[in-house]
Amino acid sequence: MNLVLAQTPPEGPPSPLARVMEALRFIWAHRPEELAAMLGIIVLLAFVSRVPVSYNLLNLVARWRTAALTALAFTAVVGLLVVMLAFVNGMHRLTVTSGQPGNVLIMSDGAIDEAFSNLATADVPDIENQAGILRDDENKPLVSRETYLIANMPTPNPPPGRPKRRFLQVRGVDDPARSAIVHGRKLIDGGRWFSDAGVSELPDAGPNDAPAIEVLLGGGIAREMGNDRWPDEAQRGRNPDRLETGDTFMLNNRTWLVVGVFESTGSAYDSEIWAKQSLVGKMFGKENYTTLAARTAGPKEAQTLRDFLVKDYTKSKLAAFVETKYFENLSETNTQFLIASIFVTVFTAIGGIFGVMNTMFAAISQRTKDIGVLRLLGFKRWQILVSFLLESLVLALVGGLLGCAAGSLFDGAEANSVVSSSQGGGKFVVLKITVDLAVLSSGMLLALMMGFLGGLVPSLSAMRLTALDALR
Amino acid sequence: MTFLRLIVDNIWRNPLRTILTSLGTMVMVLVVVMVLSILTFLSQTTTDKARNIKGIVTERWQLPSMMPLAYATSLKEGGPHEPGDIRIQPKDAMSWSFYGGSTDPDPKNRTMNTILFAFAQEPHTLLDMMDELDQLKGEDKAEFAKVVEKLAQNKKGLIVGKERLKMLGRQVGDTLKVYSFNYKEIDLEFDIVGTYPIPRYDLNASMRIDYLEDALDRWSREHKGQPHAMADKSLNLVWLRMNDRDTFNKVSQQILTNPEFSSPSVKLETASSAIGNFLEAYRDLIWGAKWLLAPAILFTLSLVIANSISISVRERRMEFAVLKVLGFRPWQILLMVLGEALLVGGLSGFVSAGGTYLFVNQALGGLQFRIGFFGAFLIADQAWWWGLAMGAGTAFAGSIGPAWSARTVRVADVFAKIA
Repeated sequence: MNLVLAQTPPEGPPSPLARVMEALRFIWAHRPEELAAMLGIIVLLAFVSRVPVSYNLLNLVARWRTAALTALAFTAVVGLLVVMLAFVNGMHRLTVTSGQPGNVLIMSDGAIDEAFSNLATADVPDIENQAGILRDDENKPLVSRETYLIANMPTPNPPPGRPKRRFLQVRGVDDPARSAIVHGRKLIDGGRWFSDAGVSELPDAGPNDAPAIEVLLGGGIAREMGNDRWPDEAQRGRNPDRLETGDTFMLNNRTWLVVGVFESTGSAYDSEIWAKQSLVGKMFGKENYTTLAARTAGPKEAQTLRDFLVKDYTKSKLAAFVETKYFENLSETNTQFLIASIFVTVFTAIGGIFGVMNTMFAAISQRTKDIGVLRLLGFKRWQILVSFLLESLVLALVGGLLGCAAGSLFDGAEANSVVSSSQGGGKFVVLKITVDLAVLSSGMLLALMMGFLGGLVPSLSAMRLTALDALR
Repeated sequence: MTFLRLIVDNIWRNPLRTILTSLGTMVMVLVVVMVLSILTFLSQTTTDKARNIKGIVTERWQLPSMMPLAYATSLKEGGPHEPGDIRIQPKDAMSWSFYGGSTDPDPKNRTMNTILFAFAQEPHTLLDMMDELDQLKGEDKAEFAKVVEKLAQNKKGLIVGKERLKMLGRQVGDTLKVYSFNYKEIDLEFDIVGTYPIPRYDLNASMRIDYLEDALDRWSREHKGQPHAMADKSLNLVWLRMNDRDTFNKVSQQILTNPEFSSPSVKLETASSAIGNFLEAYRDLIWGAKWLLAPAILFTLSLVIANSISISVRERRMEFAVLKVLGFRPWQILLMVLGEALLVGGLSGFVSAGGTYLFVNQALGGLQFRIGFFGAFLIADQAWWWGLAMGAGTAFAGSIGPAWSARTVRVADVFAKIA
């Protein structure tokens, strides 16, 4: 997960702020390594301290209530951080995996998002035949012609307190099979592409009923819309967890028939429904294409095509984005949530640090005689410091591990959110909360930092005790 | 009184521990107060009212809502088309068109510091209908009324939120040219006549709707009578204020059944419902903040206090034994320990919440955390007693166990150990 931070200027030496941001990015990107280093240092300290670690462990056991309360505080703070970072991680993965590296999204000039784009139909054939765009076996350009719009759909059975409408992301496409190739999507077994007409008659339709609009659902929205059903209806349905091939729903006074469900890829496209462009464009008053998604050979070729269309293509003014960069730009909300998570965690951790300090100060005040004896036995001041610091770190380690375990329970859970850019574009998405090594490392690093900072001042005070003062 | 003095003296027996506990309480209460303020505001905006209801008319099936400007006149009256239909008064209606653009003509140079989104509206609606601006009183209202008057006098006038002004690098009195991205070739010059007085609109701007309408007409004249592509899509929202639910239902029915509004068809929903739809995308975040984040922080806080009090009780076993010998009853000892925790927790929570309220609202002008179209959040007025309740509540929860343990100290056991 990368922070979307200030960019260094293209020319000239980097400013101090840019250097700081670069350092932060480096630290952020290497959390597992930092955790390994910190654990290594702790083990090393345990060896060089010479004060038996068993002394500290037995004292923790003797004061098990206080130790348990302190460790639980660590558990709560670390668990919270893990869940928040896992959410942000899920958003980040979604924006990173949503795009194909060889795709270029072509929109009208000035459009920052598909929702605001309006391509002139007359321009489309010429754009599709530009050099660099791959062709299929029939020598047709691998370009998906699309109209992206957001429909306002009444939800049939909203639970109390929940909105009665949902914003449904609809993508009108001409050729679903071609579009699926361009976007790297596959149907779950049992589904099919919608027909050329994009409609079909339902078996129980009356003579005056309009035919049902055929639609393909992303995995995420299929589950979301599946929850619209009453529980017994869902149980009786083809699939209790989601809408399935053959299910129907109502939108804009028409019946829509699900003819296929895409495999979930963890991308923003999982939250969309696809239907025939000529039908949905007319139905919702957006008859022009908003987007052409063109497949090239790879990332370099995509960048070349993008640059050509933006700078050198003269027949019309266009906006073009390499698809991976387009979705990376939708990370403003990621950054916002990450900053909020860090803010909440830092303040909560500060509170936890004060709790640890309390524990350690109390422990030291009750063991001044122990400290005096240790000094008389020849243990040096720094060894006393390390000994008490290790005690604090053991508490942190135990609490941190429990917190990571608690936070990991949320791994794989689905959540709704919005990904948006700083310039106003955005998409509603269903993401998977993702706990990975980096997130767990963050949790453990936080725990160890809290243990270190909370134990440092009391340990320093223990270190400063002379043998005589301690035994007096 | 003696009891209270005893409690206060006991708190300062170990000032370091008391201060650390107090600081831990303050820091965590600060975070929870901020989170609760945001959640409370969002909850208030999405709660349906029974009276003085604001409704929003939008396109029925699509987002963004884009209706013909021709709908505006009838919609602002509530869409009456039958005898006996309700007619909404002008002071209870407001139309919005969204005009967006950049101060840099090159789309490639577009950044947050060049972008501007403005509500195109009638000036009087700023004071009559805009949320929270219509609740202004006293000097704030008088000051903003002057700004609105300047907008009414100047067709090219623009009111810009403070945060947006900063991002654009402009101030009141400057001129601004905006190159539109949703109204192609309709680039407009503005005179910045003032700002909004509240942080809710810090990222927004307001311009005159007739300025946009004139520009659309001018474009059409310059293009041989051809209407601009947005001419039939320039009305985005119509706000209506109705006295009660019955009126809302009647007006809703009027609008739904009015044949004028068939292509595109429109709907009326309460403002709270419309906002709720937008916030639905954030529902899991809001759920997490309400049921995971805030409880986890309060749990941690109660652990910190529990830890502190249990250490204190363990160190004072002899003192409790002596108090019992002196005639103090167990329940008095229980109350004493609870009292210490409640005093530290309650006072710390109160001070923290109050300090947060003053600092965030006065110094920072609100929490700058964008959710949907909400730019900044103020700390709720109830924060003062939230802090007290949270501090005292977590202190009680954390100290009841140690206090009970203090109550059950046995004199014989304590003095036997000493002997």
